[in-house]
Amino acid sequence: MTWWRRADWLTRSGLACLAVLVLVSVVGTVFGIGGDPDAMVGPRLAPPGVDYPLGTDELGRSMLPRLFEGIGTTLLLSTLAVLVTAVLATLLGVAAGYRGGWLGEVVLRLVEVLYSFPTIVLAILVAAVVGPGRTATMCSIVLITIPLMTRVVRAAAVTVSERDYVTSAVISGARWPRILVRHLLPSLSGTIAVQGTYALSVGILVEGGLSFLGFGVQPPQSSLGALIQQGSTYLLAAPWLVVAPGIVLVVAILAINVFGDGLRDGLEPREARSLV
Amino acid sequence: MRLFSWWLRRALSAVLTLFLVSVLIFAASRWMPGGFAEVVLGPFASPEQKAEVAAKYGLDESVFVQYWLWLGTALTGDFGISMISGEPVTTEFGLRLPVTAQLALFGVAAAVLIGVPLGVLTAVRAGGRRGGAALGRLVSGLGVSVPEFVLGSIVVFLFSRYALGLTVGGYVPFGQDPAGNLQSMVLPAAVLSVFVIAVAARTTRDAVLNVLVEPYITASIARGESPGFIVARHVLRNASIPVITVLSTITAYLLGGAVIIEYLFNLPGIGTYLVQAVGRRDYAVVQAGVLLAAVVFIVLNMLTDAAAGVLDPRFGAAAKGRKR
Amino acid sequence: MTPLLHIDDLVVDYASGGRTVRALDGAALTVQRGETVGIVGESGSGKSTLGSAIGGLLPGAASVTGGAVRVDGDDVNTLRPKQLRALRRGRLGYIFQEPIGSLDPTMRVGRQVELALRGRGTRADVTAHLARVQLADPDRVARSYPHQLSGGMAQRVAIAMAMAGEPEILIADEPTAALDSQIREEVLGVIFSLAAEAGTTILWLSHDLPAVAKRCSRVVVMYGGRVVESGAASAVLDSPRHPYTAALVRAVPGAAADGARLSSIPGQPPVLTGSAQGCAFAPRCPDALGPCSADRPPLVSVAERDVLCHLAEATVGAGR
Repeated sequence: MTWWRRADWLTRSGLACLAVLVLVSVVGTVFGIGGDPDAMVGPRLAPPGVDYPLGTDELGRSMLPRLFEGIGTTLLLSTLAVLVTAVLATLLGVAAGYRGGWLGEVVLRLVEVLYSFPTIVLAILVAAVVGPGRTATMCSIVLITIPLMTRVVRAAAVTVSERDYVTSAVISGARWPRILVRHLLPSLSGTIAVQGTYALSVGILVEGGLSFLGFGVQPPQSSLGALIQQGSTYLLAAPWLVVAPGIVLVVAILAINVFGDGLRDGLEPREARSLV
Repeated sequence: MRLFSWWLRRALSAVLTLFLVSVLIFAASRWMPGGFAEVVLGPFASPEQKAEVAAKYGLDESVFVQYWLWLGTALTGDFGISMISGEPVTTEFGLRLPVTAQLALFGVAAAVLIGVPLGVLTAVRAGGRRGGAALGRLVSGLGVSVPEFVLGSIVVFLFSRYALGLTVGGYVPFGQDPAGNLQSMVLPAAVLSVFVIAVAARTTRDAVLNVLVEPYITASIARGESPGFIVARHVLRNASIPVITVLSTITAYLLGGAVIIEYLFNLPGIGTYLVQAVGRRDYAVVQAGVLLAAVVFIVLNMLTDAAAGVLDPRFGAAAKGRKR
Repeated sequence: MTPLLHIDDLVVDYASGGRTVRALDGAALTVQRGETVGIVGESGSGKSTLGSAIGGLLPGAASVTGGAVRVDGDDVNTLRPKQLRALRRGRLGYIFQEPIGSLDPTMRVGRQVELALRGRGTRADVTAHLARVQLADPDRVARSYPHQLSGGMAQRVAIAMAMAGEPEILIADEPTAALDSQIREEVLGVIFSLAAEAGTTILWLSHDLPAVAKRCSRVVVMYGGRVVESGAASAVLDSPRHPYTAALVRAVPGAAADGARLSSIPGQPPVLTGSAQGCAFAPRCPDALGPCSADRPPLVSVAERDVLCHLAEATVGAGR
């Protein structure tokens, strides 16, 4: 973890922000802070105040517990989807980059086919086939992030597999699962971590966009995208419905992106060059 | 000759990709629960009525036959008719293309004219001050981290609430009223631009930083060349390939339809139309839309490869050598 | 008369991951016009940093924390950017280790030479400059891209570009390290003959003591970011006065008698994080005494050379 010592304040605050979001969501949900997210407790569209810190929605539900739940849903869905992507993309990328041959061709073709679909249209097609909801959201995130990540992992695997220690392992008769675990994965772990981080931010973005269009997480379940979607109907009358989830969404994506940038710069330090 | 055979391979692989896309989109559209007949006739239609509708549009044939017939006509450029409107699909897309094309034009122009110079500038200045690096990262990170629907909602709110002089929502064709058209397109284009500018700037900055550490840049500095000269003569061209690649991705993304922007600002573009078509099970429209988007993507990719071959002689050689 | 190059107690630090590494720890060197100087040292000895510092070419992570570099009296570190560029253009020429990498991969070689001539060159001039570095087919080379050249050809092009402005000082940083051994001598021959023609002073940075001693009038040995011995090439090679130089000479294959073992230097070169307390070589020095690791050795002039060693001082003291 030498890169962490090199990490600047921005990278560290990115990770801190994420940790705080997770903590707030978990603590808020577990201890039921702000009440039951589904109970219609107050007046409709009440502005933020003492009783309802973030106001109430069109059904009189308090926004604070709904926000806690929404953060949790969004982060959980995106993280699970990105884990699936990470595993699949690593396998596909290594297969294409290290083994090559017909397998590599198939993987490259798959990547290109998925790339050819317009992003949001792909997500909406998935939602149409499996039905809108959490499954559709996760499938969409996986299908959208897989080509992005597989391409980068493949390129890295090509570079790594040309290194001498891999060649010597091959010559000394090591079998390929062993080469994968002992030699390829350790060298690829940085790339996978960085790409996984970026995929997470894409995942949150996809969840938001899909739910915003009404094809993602469905009410009464809340997610950051679903909250913004529900709130946007009353944008002019009750802007606070959009403000809180909007800010949290931006902060979450920003935190992940700056952390990813910091991770990348830390793992492959690059010297800045002045032209003067 | 080897270059020619590389392009031939490239073209064949593009055809294969398009074929796979067509199979996938056809399968997906037939896979969607609740077929076209249910959508037009409503939930209370009798089986006979459904069968009649299915027969009218050839939906009673087996999926393979349907695919075969569709592929055959699609190859002649005939994508069939929209089952909802009864108009040819190409006509329907023609009606919506101007909106999408205009948005794409604005977006790409913003990426090229603002994003790329911004990326070059921040990369060149990164070597100067140490403290500015994190701040630059924060700003560029912010640009790609604000989702279109959040920024769009803010803009819609501000401009609807405070009557700031620009139209929010609705579309006026350029031919009808150029001034009104621009007025209605400024806000969606601006919201769209923030993201693409940030993406272009980040990629450019990255590419330029990678070039700046190359030994030939050190050699140019050692020859006493000025920063402006070095950037113009050596940096731009060497950093251009990733930049062109991302610009082509941005173009394909925008031409595929900026669904969220169109939805937010109520613009009749291709993205919204495709989403509606999915909802209405308007098979011919969905199939044609996705296939055409894939064609755009693949053609742009090939153009990018061609540009890369021209811009970097090593890339051309690599392309030629890949035949081996 | 002002010396052409005067490096005075130069200290350069690199910041890396919150740590500071000292690359130059008070390096001192004076070079007169027309000299051919070979600077010898292991990697990490600071010779490349020294070479870069002359043209103000240190990377962003490096900072000059002490001393000065003067070219013909001008302090390089206090020059304004414009003056610095004028200095690089008019007085300095650089040749680097990586020949193909030092050329812009997207520009034809002829165009790059043309740019090095600052637009004053015609096509014929470009060909003439390429012919001067003994490229067999200068017109073909001019039409080529760098990746189409061999390392040796690319390095000749780089030499042509560096010498195009007839610099007063040519700094060649391991110019042959990346080349095949057969063509090293040819490339060095080109460098030295062109420099002699133009009256250019050469600073050749290398790790190869005998190669340097063969072509240069003066040899400068660096260790731990300081110049530890400097003198006439033959004198330094034949009777080194600094224990490190002596160890280098013993480690040269050609110098050992047949059958004798080549000696290597035990231990590792130092990585300094600040000013060295004593002599940086003391931990590896076979003759080290008490003061060696405690006090920084002073500069001693002995037997036609300058040596940075407590023992040399003792020898001088004894002779008096």
